[in-house]
Amino acid sequence: MGNTSIRVRLTIWYGGGLALIMLLFATSLYLVMSRALQEQIDNSLEDAAVAAARSLEEHRFGPFLLLDDLAQAFPELALLDKFFQIFGPQGQITLQSANISTRNVPLSDQAMKAALQGQATYESVRFHDQIPIRLLAYPIKHGDTLVNILRVGSSLRPVEKMLDRLVFVLQIGSPLAVLVSMFGGWFLAGRALRPVDTITHAAQRIAAGDLTQRIHTTSADEIGRLASTFNDMIARLEASIRQIRQFSADASHELRTPLTITKGETELALRKERTPEVYREVLESNLEEIDRMSRIVDELLFLSRADLGEIKIAKEPVQLDQLVQEVQHQAIVLGKNREVETVLGHLEPTEIVGDEWRLRELLLNIVDNAVKYSQEQGTVEIHLEHVNGMAKLSIQDHGIGMTSNEQNMIFNRFFRSDSARSHAQKGTGLGLAICKWIAETHQGQIQVESTPGKGSRFTILLPLHSHA
Amino acid sequence: MRILIVEDEPKVASFIRRALEEESYAVDVCTDGQQGRDIACAVNYDLIILDLMLPNLPGLEVLKGIRSEKVKTPILILTARSEVNQRVKGLDAGADDYLTKPFAIEELLARARALLRRASGETTGMLQIEDLILNPITHEVTRGGQRIELTSKEYALLEYMMRNTGRVLTRPMISEHVWDLDFDTFTNVIDVYISYLRNKIDKGRDRNLIHTVRGSGYTIKAIDG
Repeated sequence: MGNTSIRVRLTIWYGGGLALIMLLFATSLYLVMSRALQEQIDNSLEDAAVAAARSLEEHRFGPFLLLDDLAQAFPELALLDKFFQIFGPQGQITLQSANISTRNVPLSDQAMKAALQGQATYESVRFHDQIPIRLLAYPIKHGDTLVNILRVGSSLRPVEKMLDRLVFVLQIGSPLAVLVSMFGGWFLAGRALRPVDTITHAAQRIAAGDLTQRIHTTSADEIGRLASTFNDMIARLEASIRQIRQFSADASHELRTPLTITKGETELALRKERTPEVYREVLESNLEEIDRMSRIVDELLFLSRADLGEIKIAKEPVQLDQLVQEVQHQAIVLGKNREVETVLGHLEPTEIVGDEWRLRELLLNIVDNAVKYSQEQGTVEIHLEHVNGMAKLSIQDHGIGMTSNEQNMIFNRFFRSDSARSHAQKGTGLGLAICKWIAETHQGQIQVESTPGKGSRFTILLPLHSHA
Repeated sequence: MRILIVEDEPKVASFIRRALEEESYAVDVCTDGQQGRDIACAVNYDLIILDLMLPNLPGLEVLKGIRSEKVKTPILILTARSEVNQRVKGLDAGADDYLTKPFAIEELLARARALLRRASGETTGMLQIEDLILNPITHEVTRGGQRIELTSKEYALLEYMMRNTGRVLTRPMISEHVWDLDFDTFTNVIDVYISYLRNKIDKGRDRNLIHTVRGSGYTIKAIDG
């Protein structure tokens, strides 16, 4: 049964159950019917015997029984469904009705003994020609003396015929009923299981690579819930696969540019003899591109490991204000060439829980961006305060800024604004995605507000230690 | 022959420009889509190399914009290898050929030559007038079997003239196709280069090939002179 379909199994169980019920029903019906019919026959035999006995008494137990009188007293006797025999006290036959005159049905010993004790006996026997009969031997006494034994018999053939017909009807009807109900069960099971088939087909198409498939369902029953759960699962699967595809397409696109440059520069240099300066320039350019590629690969690896939850984040107390001061010193160095100044505003002593190394990376990335996109001789301001149990760190620059469209995309992987693209110092487009990941793994947030041409403010919110 | 490169990645644009300049083409570079479309419509280029991934205006839009202005200049598009769809769209939108990044420099130059040859109706690749033969692949110029050494600019001027054999070429036409955007139109540089060419090609020969068309410009053709 392991690989038989539920539909077939349901139908078989259904049909089998019904067949068993039908069998029990038919058997008991047959038994009850045959019993009732026999009782009916016995009762009518007794009635006839009692009547005949009374008639004999009226004739003062004369040796001759007048059948005509009997027929008059009991018109049903004339129907010839019964016969009468009168035996003498020794069991010898003295008189019998005409309808069995050709047959010989002697009194059994058992009936004779019972009659001597004054008891009536019912017997079922067959004529020699197999016709079944029911017999009642009824003793007639005068005082204590057995005068006669009256026997009344009746053919059981009508009863047998009736029972045969019943058996015939049950034999034909029961399997038919079972068949019809199995067909009905098959149909109903099919109807109930059709949504399951739909789900199976959809799953097969999805397995074949078509993730746009959905199961159409309107019902809110068990199957409907299964279908909608399934749809949700596929939607999530589709989204994550789309994300992976987008990610690998972006990754190969990002790697293609430095590859094109290194290949192009190298081939161009090899076309003919060049001066050592030209070779040096080509090698320097190539090194720059190789650095860019390895940075992209590193960051990609980091993000994919982060996606898989393989990056371990330490949970130690971190003095955020100290970290800000350290980063500020680095930012001053970074901004030296272009005279970009990084200043500290309000700096609340702050302790949070997290990974100092990652938090430094986060801060440095944001501050480095702020310095990079500042105008020459610009200023970057850093503030650290407490708001609603959170440490609020804001980094404000007065650089090129972003459009609101760019602000929405800035934390997406590989997104670079047009201005960032044409900026001299090329990023990988992954830095802010990593920043966002670091902030979020610390149960924090990172936001940006910006006005094109005026500058941007990045805000990082991180839970304070006591609230963490 | 003058070529426009529309490419937002400065280092990519830079090495393509240097490679083309080594082949004596006049090259202009544009890093912005919108600007690229405008300049392609304003200047009569012989070839446009267009990157399909551009800021401000996508490359495909630049392409459609250029073609809608009835500019017939051959266009070579640069695409990403994975994006078949983009190449098909690019070719359907009026591009003549494509290259996928990263590409081999020699292939880029060969495709550029092929597009220029097709545009000028050449079939063999060799340009010839009487006994003057120019090979665009090797940049070798011979007359009567004798090799003639030309500077890059002289070669570019001669190639342009030989691709337009028999046509009268005005000074603005010559400057447009042989010099890049930095060219100062108020100088007599063209006349100077024509005289250099005459010295090397016609001087001491029975028949002159370069002719002055008074009041208009110059032409190169095989007539008695």
